[in-house]
Amino acid sequence: MTPLIQSFGLRKSFPLSRSLPQMLRGERPTLMAVDGIDLTIQRGDSVGLVGESGSGKTTVGRLLLRLTPLSGGQLTYAGEHIDRMGPARLRGFRRQAQLVFQNPFDAVNPRFTIRRIVAEPLINLGVPRREHGERVAESLRLVGLAEPQRYLDSLPHQLSGGELQRVVLARALVIGPEFLVADEPVSMLDVSVRAGILNLMRELKQRLALTSFTISHDLTLVRYVCGRTLVMYLGRIVEEGPTEELILRPAHPYTRALVAAVPRPHVEQPRERLPISGAIGSGSDPPSGCRLRARCPYAFARCAQEEPRLVPVAPGHLSACHLHSA
Amino acid sequence: MSTLLAVDNLSVAYRRDGRAIRAVDGVDLTLPAGVMLGLVGESGCGKSTLARALMGVLPGNARIAGGSIRLAGEDLLAMAPAARRARLWRDISFVPQTAMNALDPVYRLRDQMREVLTERGGLPRAAADRRAEELFGAVGLDPRRLEDFPHQFSGGMRQRATIAMALALSPKLIIADEPVTALDVIVQRQVLDTLRALGRDLGLSAIIVTHDISVVAYLCSLTAVMYAGRIVEYGPTAALTRAPAHPYTMGLMNASPDLDRAVETLVAIDGAPPDLSRPPRGCRFAPRCRFALPACRESEPAAVAVGDQHRSACLRAGEAPALRAAAGRARTEAAP
Repeated sequence: MTPLIQSFGLRKSFPLSRSLPQMLRGERPTLMAVDGIDLTIQRGDSVGLVGESGSGKTTVGRLLLRLTPLSGGQLTYAGEHIDRMGPARLRGFRRQAQLVFQNPFDAVNPRFTIRRIVAEPLINLGVPRREHGERVAESLRLVGLAEPQRYLDSLPHQLSGGELQRVVLARALVIGPEFLVADEPVSMLDVSVRAGILNLMRELKQRLALTSFTISHDLTLVRYVCGRTLVMYLGRIVEEGPTEELILRPAHPYTRALVAAVPRPHVEQPRERLPISGAIGSGSDPPSGCRLRARCPYAFARCAQEEPRLVPVAPGHLSACHLHSA
Repeated sequence: MSTLLAVDNLSVAYRRDGRAIRAVDGVDLTLPAGVMLGLVGESGCGKSTLARALMGVLPGNARIAGGSIRLAGEDLLAMAPAARRARLWRDISFVPQTAMNALDPVYRLRDQMREVLTERGGLPRAAADRRAEELFGAVGLDPRRLEDFPHQFSGGMRQRATIAMALALSPKLIIADEPVTALDVIVQRQVLDTLRALGRDLGLSAIIVTHDISVVAYLCSLTAVMYAGRIVEYGPTAALTRAPAHPYTMGLMNASPDLDRAVETLVAIDGAPPDLSRPPRGCRFAPRCRFALPACRESEPAAVAVGDQHRSACLRAGEAPALRAAAGRARTEAAP
């Protein structure tokens, strides 16, 4: 079956501001935010992308939705090259693929009523007006706002953070998309509210047979909503596998550090020193070989010479580290 | 252990649109010397206001509406505000959420450390520089980086520099407001480990204000849980996280994901915190509480002992084991 999303060597670079000497030398420094990513998402999959700030994860999400043009590689949606879609096809694509934003308060116009906010995609895509009322109400019920009439004429500030995040989700779902990209969907919410949104996302995934791509810095979040997870570091995927396996048996030193670093809500938690030191650098001048090597206690000569490729470490579980073949 | 900080029946009121909002309402809190206390609660619970009241840096539209704050036996509220401010850094120092709010972007770190140490600490310049190097070492920064400007530091390094500055005059108490919230998880862990080492090696007394009970479980030996302006539960972190005795704490625990446990459905707390300009009668958590009885809506429950140094402000605190068992289940099942 044709995967819903497939990419080969997906790249995105951003120009950086040039210094005078760089201008004189005719150099054009760039930041490689996404540097050669192969990705396959089958219909019905829920895939997570985890990384620290600066890893390039948000850029991947924007590429998948064609919100930013790609700089290299290939990207297809249901077998069709995303960058070659014409205006008419793109309109169809915008119905099929939707984005859920990070901060619900930034994602909505504060002067619009909830009715208007949720109807936005219907308006943009020219759905007949008479259908709006019912579809908006239905979408609000779908996200657990059981009495839509109570919300329709409210303004965003009259809602709690959790309710507004549900409204943002209702807006993404109102057009009946098949693919949803969620970028840090709960990071702005209080923990007591976050749990409800995570449960809702789990439930919707099953009920609507959605294909989803969830971007987060938080492994605990992807664990609740994603069957498979990719770990990104400075523009590259360093590990991918079934989410539970990745958390229980992380293979890459970076993933091992990510798992160990998450504080747990009990006192008997691991407190040993993290294997990874320092902080993520900038993608403008990545080191030769493995991008993690300066922070990695296991680095050896080969890590500086050769960039490790993703190799299988278990069925469906890949990791890009020279330790696996040493 | 001697008591370092004793907060008794403290209230702080804001005036907004002609209405008084009690962001902190009758808070009792005790901190023994040499201990890290986690003050945990969700947005709007009053934890940051409480922290500001302790430091004496409330915004202009807020005032202390009652109660007392004693630091090492000294009544802080009896002091003139100017006298209190003069002793900031020396008595109580502060680590903010974003280090950029504490560091001046146009000065080298050395100059900023020097200013605190010479002008506020009265050290001669050479001694100040030696102390600055020592402090950088203590928080895991290379002393040579004192020559850098803040923008040359990563987020985690800046937060370490802020901690070094907070330690500069050996204050009796450090208050850190969400010190790791803005950091990525690996850097967050590094900064938590720095704070933990300072607690262990220097016997640091600190209040860590956070929304994340997991950060408290990692770092603090004592925990105070705040909800709608009140401390609802207080106790040793081990006891409080193992056997929470207030339904709100139970809710926080059941809503917090735990990588060490199998994936289970998280249990959300329905509803939202009350509007503090019109707090509900009785227990403030009652409108969201699955276990609320009619009596809970009558009068505000007092804190009762549920264990050694462990108190819960819940009318049903005595039934905590049964409530805990029910709280972990989805809401559709009947409450006891």
